[in-house]
Amino acid sequence: MSRPAPPPRQLGLTLGVIAVLATMTLWSAHGIGFSVSELVCNAAGGSRLLRESWPPDFAFLPRLIGPFLETLHIALIGTVVGAIIAIPVAVLAARPVSPNWLTWIIDRNFMNILRTLPDLFWAMLFATAVGFGPLAGALALSVFSVAVISKLFSESVEAIDMHLPEAVRACGGSWLQMVGLGALPQVWPQYAAYVMYSFELNVRGSMVLGLVGAGGIGMILETQRANFEYERVTMIILSVLVVVLLIEQVSASVRRRLA
Amino acid sequence: MTDKPGTSEAMIRFRGAGVTYPNGVVGLEGIDLTIQRGEFVVIVGSSGAGKSTLLRSINGLTPLTAGEIEVAGVAVPRRQGRELRRLRARIGMVFQDFRLVRRLSVLSNVLIGRVAYVPTWRSVLNLWPRAEVELAMSALERVGIVDKAYVRAGQLSGGQQQRVGIARALAQAPEVILADEPVASLDPVTSHQVMEDLLRINRELGITTIVNLHFLDLARRYGQRIIGLQQGKVVYDGSGSEVTDEDFRRIYGRRPGEDDFLQEPAA
Ligand SMILES: Nc1ncnc2c1ncn2[C@@H]1O[C@H](COP(=O)(O)OP(=O)(O)OP(=O)(O)O)[C@@H](O)[C@H]1O
Ligand SMILES: [Mg+2]
Repeated sequence: MSRPAPPPRQLGLTLGVIAVLATMTLWSAHGIGFSVSELVCNAAGGSRLLRESWPPDFAFLPRLIGPFLETLHIALIGTVVGAIIAIPVAVLAARPVSPNWLTWIIDRNFMNILRTLPDLFWAMLFATAVGFGPLAGALALSVFSVAVISKLFSESVEAIDMHLPEAVRACGGSWLQMVGLGALPQVWPQYAAYVMYSFELNVRGSMVLGLVGAGGIGMILETQRANFEYERVTMIILSVLVVVLLIEQVSASVRRRLA
Repeated sequence: MTDKPGTSEAMIRFRGAGVTYPNGVVGLEGIDLTIQRGEFVVIVGSSGAGKSTLLRSINGLTPLTAGEIEVAGVAVPRRQGRELRRLRARIGMVFQDFRLVRRLSVLSNVLIGRVAYVPTWRSVLNLWPRAEVELAMSALERVGIVDKAYVRAGQLSGGQQQRVGIARALAQAPEVILADEPVASLDPVTSHQVMEDLLRINRELGITTIVNLHFLDLARRYGQRIIGLQQGKVVYDGSGSEVTDEDFRRIYGRRPGEDDFLQEPAA
């Protein structure tokens, strides 16, 4: 039996893809006015900025505690409210437990729409309703958390063993009891992990929303930057780094224990 | 309870009952049967004969597509709803795969048998009234594992888990217990213990019991009445003490082999 000839290399295709990617990159760079020469020129300004930003202003640290707490409060409220609302949203969007086809379709689409829009968009939306501030931030993060948790959680619920819910039905249980006693007990550990994950995202989200006026550490950062207090800005950035890393470590270890 | 045949009342009555699955497979066909209150009935038949379908049609898990079934004079509704839930509350079910929440305590699992009698919020939040906990505990006493009440269900042996399954059915204070191959995933010794439990409960409480079995020696030993199914139809209906090898051959449509016995068939 003769050996088969190797399939032809698709050299043309490879070159074509590289050409398209290169063109798109150059076009984009031109579009945003990105140029290497400018980068080099600005590096000088950048190094001056860096010098002004050092050393960090440690005396400013005590004044960060309040804003940090506010940031955490916003993240916490967003997570809790979102986590609660995410339960029914996730359950109704999980095919095997959803009560009927129409509910399933509507809820799935609802979930997808929530996910399309970023947290900043929701913050703007709520700011027009309740004004810029922590409340708008917390509401925005609530919606964002619903989107994050419900998507992940409904996938977990879809994967459950449906035999157990059937056993609850066989005892005369209602739909709610079937869900609450037969379906959800199988996925509470996953749920808890998703809530922790969402809290991590919300802490970061809450800082970003602060930049646009939702309060907390992000807002302090923005005001100090606008006042050219670069040593304070450094202090803020360093402490944000520490706090975020800390929260992620704690959250990750809790999630590992849940798994 | 002593039910004398002839004076006893019908607990379950099939009238021309049939199930055709949505894919066209016929699960049951033209079933006419009457099961008296307090009877202990064993259903046998080869794989796919319709044993599970028969059992599940009694509590409406599989709806009939023809005829009707009455349980204690009430027709089994074909649609979901309050009426069906009420009926199911009176019928306990025991499964081959136990169907316990492994993460939860034995007691929490048994309490699921009480869902029909407590408000939804209480059951879902695991805030069961004391009287319900009491019922669950005495169900566990009856199957002899009340000492495990606060142990996670997943940590028990297979035989113990099946006892929890039986206790959950008992907690319903049911009039009927349906057991779908309750010993198929257990070893021979445990199988006999679980069958003895079911038989004892049937005698002590007079609960009408229907058990699907695929081991012929178990069927012969425990079945006061044996119903043989083949391709969705009843092909045998008689007492367990009188059933012959020839009857089994007819039910199975072949000579029963080694696999059809829990222990080696006596030579
Ligand atoms: N949900 C279903 N959809 C379609 N066909 C089904 C369904 N459930 C069972 N059947 C078919 O109906 C027939 C009877 O099945 P049933 O499960 O009642 O048999 P069984 O006697 O319990 O068998 P086993 O000993 O394997 O449990 C089989 O042919 C089976 O393939
Ligand atoms: Mg079966």
